[in-house]
Amino acid sequence: MTAAPGSGAGLAPRAWLVWSIAAVTVALVTDNPVYRGLVALVALDVLLTWLPPGRRLRSLAVAVALAAALAALINLLASHTGADVFARLPDGLPLVGGPLTLESLAFGGALGLGLVAALLSVAPLSLVLEPHDVVDAMPAALERTGIAVATSLNLVSGFGRTFTEVRDAQRMRGWKPGGLRSWNEVLVPVVLTAIEDSVLLAESMEARAFGAGRRTSYATARVGAREAVVVAAALAAATVFIGLRVAGVPMGWYPYPTLSLPPIHPLAVAGCLALALPAFRLPARGSRPR
Amino acid sequence: MRRLALLLPVAILAALASLAPVVPLAPTCAAAGSHHAALLVEHGAGSVVTRCVAFDASSISGEELLNLSGVAWSSQTFGGFGDAVCALDGEPARYVDCPGKDSYWAVFVARGGGSWQLADVGISTLALHDGDAEGFQYVPASGVAAAPVSAGGVCAAGATPAPRRSAAAGASAPPAAVATPATTPAETAAATDSPEPAAPLASGTRSTALPPPQAPPPAPSSGADLGLFAAAVAGGGLAGLAILRLVASRRPGP
Repeated sequence: MTAAPGSGAGLAPRAWLVWSIAAVTVALVTDNPVYRGLVALVALDVLLTWLPPGRRLRSLAVAVALAAALAALINLLASHTGADVFARLPDGLPLVGGPLTLESLAFGGALGLGLVAALLSVAPLSLVLEPHDVVDAMPAALERTGIAVATSLNLVSGFGRTFTEVRDAQRMRGWKPGGLRSWNEVLVPVVLTAIEDSVLLAESMEARAFGAGRRTSYATARVGAREAVVVAAALAAATVFIGLRVAGVPMGWYPYPTLSLPPIHPLAVAGCLALALPAFRLPARGSRPR
Repeated sequence: MRRLALLLPVAILAALASLAPVVPLAPTCAAAGSHHAALLVEHGAGSVVTRCVAFDASSISGEELLNLSGVAWSSQTFGGFGDAVCALDGEPARYVDCPGKDSYWAVFVARGGGSWQLADVGISTLALHDGDAEGFQYVPASGVAAAPVSAGGVCAAGATPAPRRSAAAGASAPPAAVATPATTPAETAAATDSPEPAAPLASGTRSTALPPPQAPPPAPSSGADLGLFAAAVAGGGLAGLAILRLVASRRPGP
């Protein structure tokens, strides 16, 4: 049996939920690459601290790096504004033709950094917590919606597994991929299996009294002092960023027409550091939330 | 503890609200007021329009300065970046894209009579104090955007206070920023159109004796330094922690 979240081993799921929402808020409320970079580093530290044994960050790192690189590349090719031109594509090329500037590259990089920060901020919900933990973290009003979404997402990975199994089984029977028509021999069994799995899942959920009332769990997630501190720090960080923005403090960064250093407010840096609180508490080995 | 978690954000919001700049709008009469800020519009062809605007508040935004100057302008809002100037003083006469694809209005600011610096915020966020100047230059979209060649100080000497920056920046402030006082309403709101880059005004007239300012940029404020230092320390610490965690996770367990 897994250790009960919030019972001394890890953080309660609701604390994780609040932390993730606050971190995403901070990452998206500003387009300053310094703040976004700090949030990304904070989220990486928190992930590395709480990552359960057996789970790896490699696939997440690849996806995040690709998304960031794509964002930077698209902005570099599509935006031709800026003073510092370092290359030029032929004007005849539609959309991408024109000067390539350092400013558009920097702005694209800032956009990519925002993606990195946002993705790393929500990563604990899938990498640190179990799906039922996330459902438990939902407010009562969103519980059934959460279950439906979590179930749907589980079916996606199940669909992938089924596809691999059916494809391998057909290969063992001598099937070789050819034109579009040849894939019928794989796709039809995959779709049928997915439908069967869905019906089976629905029956299983009904047999477990889905929809009969609020979900119960063996271990109730308790919110203790540690969770309260993490939640308070996360809310404070989000409040600082929103408040600074409302107060008129420059929180954005616009590199056009010439590159300039982003404005940095010490209070905003402190807000980013407040998010790092979960990274400074190493849980006992083997008692991390799984 | 939960009460603390609820009270903390409220307290921070209240503290931040107290930091919000209180900028009462100046009266409609541009000449009324004890503080002065200059406006300089440098067209693509080189002609220059200057205004000296008086205001009572401790500071006004770049947008308010434009409104008080009487120069015709239009803008477009870009979310958190604030407003971008699309057309100013009839240039461009018509436009489709804002900022324009070929040329756009670059915004500069000169603090306390210092040299022109490219504004890092939009005109709606740009705060101007007594003795500051806001400059607009119609520049090509590609290429290096140089500062306006015209001097920033077009207001009267009596209206221009000592520079608020460091002593080094104050020493570097060009004499062009300190012009003859403009005390009457007509003089305060005086404007000069010239076919070539203009030098500072003296009592509403253009002087050609003073060269454009070549002062070095003013020293960055201590707030920016503190923020940069804090960000560098925080980033270094967080990166170091991530490396330590990675090394620890790769180390075989007992």
